[in-house]
Amino acid sequence: MIERREKLMSYLVLGPFAIVLAFPFYWMLWTSFKSDIDLYNVNDVPFKFGKGSPTLRNYAFLFHHTQYLTWVKNTVVVGAIVVLITLVLALPAGYALARLAGRWGQNLGVGIFLTYLVPPTLLFLPMSWVIAHIGLQDRLLSLIIVFPSFTVPFSTWLLMGFFKTIPAELEDAALVDGASRLRTLLYVIFPISVPGILTVVIFSFSLVLNDFVYALAFITTSNAKTISTGVSTVLIRGDVFFWQGLMAATLLPTIPLALLYNMFLNRFIAGFTGGAFR
Amino acid sequence: MSDDRPRVDITAAQDEVTRRELLRRAAAGAIVLVYGGFGVKSAVAGAPQFRGRELKGTLRILQWSHFVPVYDTWFDNQYTKRWGQANDTEIIVDHVNQADLPGRVAAEAAAGKGHDMVALLAPAPQYEDRVIDHKEIVQEVRRKRGKMADVCVRSAYNPKTKKWHGFPDSYAPDPINYRIDLWKQVGARPTSWDRVLKAAPKLRAMNHPVGIGMSNEIDSNMALMALMMCFGSFIQNSKARVTLNSKATREALKFGRDLFRKGESNEIFAWTAASNNQGMLAGRLSLALNAISIPRSAENTNADLARNIGLLPIPAGPHGRLGLEHVMHTYMIWKFASNKKMAVKFLAELELKYRGAFEASKFYNFPSFPASVRNVPVRLARDPHTPKGKYDVLKTISEKYTKNVGYPGYSNAAIGEIFDTFLIPQMFAEVAQGKRSPDDAARAYQRRINSIFAKWRRRGKI
Repeated sequence: MIERREKLMSYLVLGPFAIVLAFPFYWMLWTSFKSDIDLYNVNDVPFKFGKGSPTLRNYAFLFHHTQYLTWVKNTVVVGAIVVLITLVLALPAGYALARLAGRWGQNLGVGIFLTYLVPPTLLFLPMSWVIAHIGLQDRLLSLIIVFPSFTVPFSTWLLMGFFKTIPAELEDAALVDGASRLRTLLYVIFPISVPGILTVVIFSFSLVLNDFVYALAFITTSNAKTISTGVSTVLIRGDVFFWQGLMAATLLPTIPLALLYNMFLNRFIAGFTGGAFR
Repeated sequence: MSDDRPRVDITAAQDEVTRRELLRRAAAGAIVLVYGGFGVKSAVAGAPQFRGRELKGTLRILQWSHFVPVYDTWFDNQYTKRWGQANDTEIIVDHVNQADLPGRVAAEAAAGKGHDMVALLAPAPQYEDRVIDHKEIVQEVRRKRGKMADVCVRSAYNPKTKKWHGFPDSYAPDPINYRIDLWKQVGARPTSWDRVLKAAPKLRAMNHPVGIGMSNEIDSNMALMALMMCFGSFIQNSKARVTLNSKATREALKFGRDLFRKGESNEIFAWTAASNNQGMLAGRLSLALNAISIPRSAENTNADLARNIGLLPIPAGPHGRLGLEHVMHTYMIWKFASNKKMAVKFLAELELKYRGAFEASKFYNFPSFPASVRNVPVRLARDPHTPKGKYDVLKTISEKYTKNVGYPGYSNAAIGEIFDTFLIPQMFAEVAQGKRSPDDAARAYQRRINSIFAKWRRRGKI
């Protein structure tokens, strides 16, 4: 009885939050199937389909009359490589700060994290100069080089906190048994750190997906654009917004990301909160 | 005593991973990823080469995504291809959403590298020192087509430095878009601001408010600056002296406040450039000041609504009927451009035969040299959409009621900064919301604008 009441209470509390948070996605989905005339009919908003709806025309336009698939491919490529670079740099850095840097480790970790807080709107002009002068304008490589500048600091700080939760005795045992530091990292620490690593992977990929300023500043060639700039170029024309296509274009990439978050939710939470308890 | 230490088996691995091996594998993986291509070789390696005949030169252009998609198709796939073949030049056209153009252009200016020429929707005199003098293009076209429209001269020429800091190929007239059926119901036409104010409460009561924005966006800028001019209020005089704090400005601010209180809704303080379009297309707004993107969008989405959207010149105020261009499409050729000669030639020839651009843009792009498109009234009259002849008024608006931003002076760098920082909509919004009185607002914003003018005067641009 008490259990049932508690369950009911938790649904009553969480339900409204869930509705509020999920509503924008529902809106996006519904809008993506609307015809032009239905979209602007205020009587049909938001729960009805009106004249000409539902329609797949907006999706057809996205896939057949824009380079959407190319932009998705570009985003995935950049995201995957940036995640890899982030892991290669942030894992050893986080470990070193957690275990080897002594008293300075914590302060250095915070200092590294603070660089993440510098907004791209301040940096995109000098970065443009650098990218132009190394000849990477209009190339995905420009994003691959620059994006780690904000994924690595955050991931290093996150992993630093996470590594601190791992008992030092585990490493001591491995070291005593003759393993090198590198071997200990690879065979002892990293397998236990899967939640933290997953957090870094998902979070870094999300950051790449969301970036707009650098993608706009460095790339204008259509076949080298990512989703964020490609979609806004083609589907926002002057003061005319093609809302249905915009909703479809932005909803589609969020689905796999949402599924990924959902699949690893517990580990994701463990990764974020691991450093909070010491 | 039992050993409680956790057991870790690390002896099983058959291939030892040394540091060297790890680095070797990582390097191999990186090479595969970056140069394997993932199907996007050209994106990683750079822009694709022109397929077909190798052309001698390259010309790179950056401009907005035109609200008429057909224009971009015509420009990118027909005009530039033909011109490129005829001039042995590969032309690469890149597009960016108009709201993001200034940021991208700033990035190119900072980098000192990028496209050969960029086009903004307003003149950018702040880049005067980074672009060439475009007088050669103006002289070439003037020789064959006669005078440039005064609104374009005043937008792109700096009389202080005697430099053409851009070449406007076109501009968009700014008519009133109004709902014929709704205004008929209230028994009026928006031919004067006074009539607009009288009809506004009735229209709002019908749930069709007036749509003059007071937000940090281009439509609000244009509408409010034009409204000011109709009241005799000007930011500067013909000698670039700030004249904002005047009786006329105070009257315009009072009018704006009354219009908001009697006939508009709060949403106008949070608008984007698309908001008045969307309000009209949703059938909600009864009036907006905007280029013809509203009726053209309605023609595609809702034919009944399109039939009920009429166009008129800007309403007359106590000082007369003075409007602004909605968009001054201005090309700038960077000093760092690698193909300046071709860029100059391209722009001159684009303007000399502007008919194609005029038609492809569905009359949005009015040529900066009026003689570049012959028989404009005939072309406008040929538009098949009802009510028949609704676009005829654009010719009158372009000839009589279209001034430059900063009129009666030139569109100088100070005016550009005032425009880009949306000071005029902010001034109107503060008065409309009761945060400042019209007197205070006119005084306070005069001070701010004075300091902007002083800055650019010190730099020798005014």
